Amino acid sequence: MTDTRDELETRGPASGPPPLLRFVAAKVGGGVVSLFLVAVLGFFLFRVLPGDPARTMTRSTPVSAEQLAALRHRFGLDQPLYLQFRDFLLNLLHGDLGTSYIYNRPVAELIVERIGPTVLLVGTATVLAVLVGLWMGTRAAWRQGGAVDRWFTSVGLTLWSVPTFWLGLLLLMAFGVGVGPLPGLFPVAGMSSPDVPPGVVARVLDVAHHLVLPCLTLVAVIYAQFMMVMRTSLLEEMGAEYLTTARAKGLREDLVRRRHAVPNALLPTVTLIFLHLGLVVAGAITVETVFSWPGLGLLTYEALRVPDLPLLQGTFIVLAGSVIVMNVLAELIYRLLDPRVRDS
Amino acid sequence: MNPILRMDGVSVTYRGSVRPRQAVIDANLTLEPGATLGLAGESGCGKTSLALAVLRLLPRSADVDGTILLDGQDIERLTWGGLRAARWASASVVFQGAMHALNPVRTIADQIAEPIRLHSSERLSAAVSRARVVELLERVEIPARRRDAYPHELSGGQRQRVMIAMALACEPRLIIADEPTTALDVVVQSQVLSLLRRLVAERGIALLMISHDLSVLAASCRRLAVMYRGRLVEEGPAHRLASAPEHEHTGELAAAFPTIGDTASRYQGAGEPVGAAGSTRRPLLSAEGVSVEFTDRHRNRVPAVREVDLDVTGDEILALVGQSGSGKTTLARTLLGLRRPDTGVVHYDGRPIPTSGRRLRDFRGNVQLVLQDPTGALNPRHTVYEAVAEGLRVHGGAADEAARVHEALEAAELRPAEEFAGRFPHELSGGQRQRVVIAGALVLCPRVLVADEPVASLDATVRGEILALLLRLRRERGVSSLVITHDLGLAWNIADRVAVMRAGAIVETGPVERVLIDPEHEYTTELLAAVPSFERSVS
Repeated sequence: MTDTRDELETRGPASGPPPLLRFVAAKVGGGVVSLFLVAVLGFFLFRVLPGDPARTMTRSTPVSAEQLAALRHRFGLDQPLYLQFRDFLLNLLHGDLGTSYIYNRPVAELIVERIGPTVLLVGTATVLAVLVGLWMGTRAAWRQGGAVDRWFTSVGLTLWSVPTFWLGLLLLMAFGVGVGPLPGLFPVAGMSSPDVPPGVVARVLDVAHHLVLPCLTLVAVIYAQFMMVMRTSLLEEMGAEYLTTARAKGLREDLVRRRHAVPNALLPTVTLIFLHLGLVVAGAITVETVFSWPGLGLLTYEALRVPDLPLLQGTFIVLAGSVIVMNVLAELIYRLLDPRVRDS
Repeated sequence: MNPILRMDGVSVTYRGSVRPRQAVIDANLTLEPGATLGLAGESGCGKTSLALAVLRLLPRSADVDGTILLDGQDIERLTWGGLRAARWASASVVFQGAMHALNPVRTIADQIAEPIRLHSSERLSAAVSRARVVELLERVEIPARRRDAYPHELSGGQRQRVMIAMALACEPRLIIADEPTTALDVVVQSQVLSLLRRLVAERGIALLMISHDLSVLAASCRRLAVMYRGRLVEEGPAHRLASAPEHEHTGELAAAFPTIGDTASRYQGAGEPVGAAGSTRRPLLSAEGVSVEFTDRHRNRVPAVREVDLDVTGDEILALVGQSGSGKTTLARTLLGLRRPDTGVVHYDGRPIPTSGRRLRDFRGNVQLVLQDPTGALNPRHTVYEAVAEGLRVHGGAADEAARVHEALEAAELRPAEEFAGRFPHELSGGQRQRVVIAGALVLCPRVLVADEPVASLDATVRGEILALLLRLRRERGVSSLVITHDLGLAWNIADRVAVMRAGAIVETGPVERVLIDPEHEYTTELLAAVPSFERSVS
């Protein structure tokens, strides 16, 4: 096949700056459309669930038909579906996600309250897992089949396949409760102790102390994904001819790796990393439940048990929204990292 | 004077999982400072292994025996630090296919500056190294404003020039050029070759050039060495090897790159269509005023084919020649009905080609495509039988499928057919794979084969066999061929007529003997002048 770029030697420079603005606008626009679809889906998905929300709310207490009707009226459940949908969209634009049945408080307020702890826990864990995973993946690939590779790969795959709650409980017992002579080193539940001495430093240290076990559990379970993707991607680059060029230039092996191989191998991992950052908000339902971490995951878990429709709907929209936002960001960043994408 | 490179009894052995494979066996070479040596051989003959051994760039699985003295230093005895210091400063490399040899995510200036900074004794300021990069780029005739370009933004020729600039960066005493022009078309190839030739001559740099193309080497090097199955079988002055090769393999390599105008390199039967002279030679597949435009990313209309009239008559071999990007592949796709022309019309057998339905399928059965790279064209998980039978099945199947596949394999000279039918592509050689592709086309009994660079990825000896096959198909089965190529030698080998394409338009059409010997259009003359040949080898 002939390559049109090889045409005449006189192919001029790319004319003008790349239409960056148009690209950004297109991606952001696409993101907004997806967000809208998510909102629509969120609304109808929770409306087709079986069960009467008014009855759910009053499950424990006997109520009269009038009380039920009043309750329905208060939550707007007596309106036709299209009116409910219109109100839902209008409220959504104002940041109002409705009122939780179980907490009897605005959903938005609840989510804002819980999002901090979740981002702290899952965000820290994801960043650590990415760093550890990428580093280990690079090491493993550089000496493929060597002892380091075999160890890293088998340990990583084992941890990846372990059920999260089981690993969490194990760590909880070993380091939280204490086994045999080993005392409990870390707190077993929650994000802070009730009896913290005053002062910012003391509080930060207290939260960090609580963070160790849940964070460790999460990192152990997810880092292998980053490691395996990095390993595969670097292995693909290892045979690349530009690495021979780099070696022929007289570069040390670690420079060949750092300057040439890794920047190319990182590209495929960018998408994966941002997908995970998007899921950070979702929290980790299992880990937050095991360690009673007051985050969005625990909130979702509580909402599911009832089920608390407005709360579920709210968490659903926030979660989907963050995935979409992160994906748009990933595309923008990918464009910065790979000059070949910039021009297409 | 001490030789810049001396190899004594060098052998390279790859430790395989099954058994070791000897890539180079007992090679002896000496290269004086400023001398030029061409190393020729087919793919897999060990020439690249030999070259990479000079800088110890072979993979870990390779064992090197014998002595290699680079600039008086024994390469095998150097420490890693000493070796790194020698790399690029004593000898640098121009790699094949610069697209892959350059890092895609770094600018060319960055990559050229890297060895300069690495090998300079003091710390260079950014301004100094930038000035040096600009100077190097200008030396290879790339404007300084392109220094922040990424490799993919440059044309193939420009990328190769960047490689040359990079090789010159540390003023080495030896440059090893491994197939420096293989992916380029004739005109660009001759520009790059003359640049390389001039730069090494000006600076007295020794050049070790590796190629499968003897005529390219003869155009650039005073001495030639021929490698065959790991051994150096012949070495001598270029003009001697050209005029009186001693080893038969040298002769084979030379024959693959024909001398245009020499009747000896015209194949038997070329230029003699079987149809009785004067009988109805009506066009079978023809383009009338065909234009095709593409839309680029700035939404500009870019013409790829302009107002082309072209006829392929029954039982002839027509060569469509032109540089890369001249629009020949687009024209071929249009003739195949894979793309509709924006203006003009394509006729098959006197009627416009159908655009849908059963008649389109009939047309597709009659006009078959043979692609350049048989490895990519064959599904690695299909056996030869399945690959060939697939066309039949697409066209509604045939009751006598096995018989027809057998016949097609025989016609493509894969004999005995039964033995090949069950094999997978990876079990075949490059030439055999291309035969399978041709058999896959033949099974539908087409009247026209459209072959896009059918031998570009094949070795010299196999090339001749495939070309002979095309001729035989024409003679025995009356199958016409439209051969698309940038290789004028190929046209001279087998074609009856030749059409020269430039920037989307056909500038000249006529019988091969007339167009290639006595061209009317200046562009044809230009193309012919760019073809490297033994006759014009440096003496």
